[in-house]
Amino acid sequence: MMPTAIQRLLIPMLLVTTAIVILIATLLGSVPMSMHEWWLAISNPAAEQGEVIWRLRLPRVAAAWAVGALLSLSGCLMQVLLRNPLADPYILGVSGGAAFATLLGMSLGVTAAFIPALALLGSLFSILLVFGLARGEGPWSSTRLLLTGVVTASGWAALISLILALGSDSSLRGMLFWLIGDLGYAKAPVWSFLILALAFGLCLALARSLNVLAIGESTARLLGESTEKLLWLLYLLASVLTATAVSIAGSIGFVGLIVPHLVRLMVGSDHRRLLPAATLFGGLFLVVADTLARTLLAPRQLPVGVITALLGVPLFLLLLNRAKVK
Amino acid sequence: MTITLACRQLDVSIASVQVVQQLELEIHSGSFWAMLGPNGVGKTTLLNCLAGLRAADHGEVKLRGRAIQSMPRRQLARQLGMLQQHSAYVFDSSVLQTALTGRHPHLGLLEREGPADFDLARSALNSVDLQDFEDRCVTTLSGGEARRLAFASLLVQQASVMLLDEPSNHLDLKHQVQIMQMIRGLSVQQDGIAIAALHDVNLAMSYCSHALLLLGSGKWQAGPVGEMLTEANLERTFGCPVEALQGKNGLRFYPLTNP
Repeated sequence: MMPTAIQRLLIPMLLVTTAIVILIATLLGSVPMSMHEWWLAISNPAAEQGEVIWRLRLPRVAAAWAVGALLSLSGCLMQVLLRNPLADPYILGVSGGAAFATLLGMSLGVTAAFIPALALLGSLFSILLVFGLARGEGPWSSTRLLLTGVVTASGWAALISLILALGSDSSLRGMLFWLIGDLGYAKAPVWSFLILALAFGLCLALARSLNVLAIGESTARLLGESTEKLLWLLYLLASVLTATAVSIAGSIGFVGLIVPHLVRLMVGSDHRRLLPAATLFGGLFLVVADTLARTLLAPRQLPVGVITALLGVPLFLLLLNRAKVK
Repeated sequence: MTITLACRQLDVSIASVQVVQQLELEIHSGSFWAMLGPNGVGKTTLLNCLAGLRAADHGEVKLRGRAIQSMPRRQLARQLGMLQQHSAYVFDSSVLQTALTGRHPHLGLLEREGPADFDLARSALNSVDLQDFEDRCVTTLSGGEARRLAFASLLVQQASVMLLDEPSNHLDLKHQVQIMQMIRGLSVQQDGIAIAALHDVNLAMSYCSHALLLLGSGKWQAGPVGEMLTEANLERTFGCPVEALQGKNGLRFYPLTNP
């Protein structure tokens, strides 16, 4: 099958667009800059405007890009893992565990610097909990993982509601921002990029296996896959990607659901094309959303999760509608 | 080269149903076996067991003398393929892309499908009359078309042992005959092995060389089609009186009805 024009051009197009969007995102902000000033600032990190770009705007853009890419890749994996195109990175309770730990920390007055670590711990705990419970005795299936994960997620949701109900008014705003997803103070540490790169490489090597797994578990086995190992690997990869994203910026919604869908419509379901395109598109999407979040009502900043949902919901409904016609 | 798929003292059960007990079977290349039995007797379970998808309670299934449970799945997949009873596609993939999945066990980790793989997939699609569907999305196929696509993927896998769970399901008359002829061609004429769970006794009579009757409670009977498919045996298997009539191409069976 000859790749169509869009399939061949999408990756280069995404790279170029990402570069342009990053340029625009670093231009915009409370300190206005012309292209010329921007260039001076970029080449002079020590100058005042250089500080704005290098210390404030670029780290935030990097964090947005990393979170978008992490969530989109995780979404692609979750959808194959559960063989359900409606699965998202949060469906198995990873973000629930993170949210519980974070909100508990906030209500106990833990300083903001420790929040990412708390979120990471909470999600790792949830990953292991679901892993242990779903494994149990007897044959393993994605149905069992789905049920265990979804029930665990609802358990977390109950605990989160409890904390919100008992929390003081002063801490509620921070909690809400975290739950919606906010890049206001986000920094993407180097290891989050390493995790992304590692998982991405591994998934790309497994891409053809993911293609057969998407048809069905037993089909994959009949075509030579040891599905049990593959499924666990996918679960762990998708969960760790999600945990990393959530520890950076809270539980930003819709990216991990919408981006894999959108990209599937453009390049089809072959994971060898889907994974790179979805990862790049996810990063781009979140940089755009976050730039809107901090400029639309400037100087007020909106939590980026609001923008992703506001962009994501109509886009999703439009796509569903189009799919029906096709 | 002769290959043999053998069942040794095989006990298979599922839930409270004993599918077979002490099944002893030697299936040699160049034969096309029909597996016949009433609903729920365990045909799919037995096929899954032969494919190594589930473990037997006792005994073993051997391919070329090796227990299939101990073979790496990838190695097994190059020799044994199975058409499953249901082919429901969830993700939007193209028909050609799906047919190409049959090459999966033959390709290395990072290897991409080459021109030869595409030729194989196209000729398989051609043989099930899906040549004009290459770019169609699999989720839009009809039941019969999806079935033919799943069969095409199996052809692309080029396994010498083919297990087929109700291959004629959902197919119109023309395609039933076409697919049964292809299976017979690959097994009886080209020295492969095919084992198909069937409900149509007359398709079995026309195309198969041997038959395995599952009689319930673990009882079974196996042998050449001519000896196995008799009025008495079929009545015993299905619990329904059957009449044999001489057709143009040999005996055909019809259930006796009381109008």
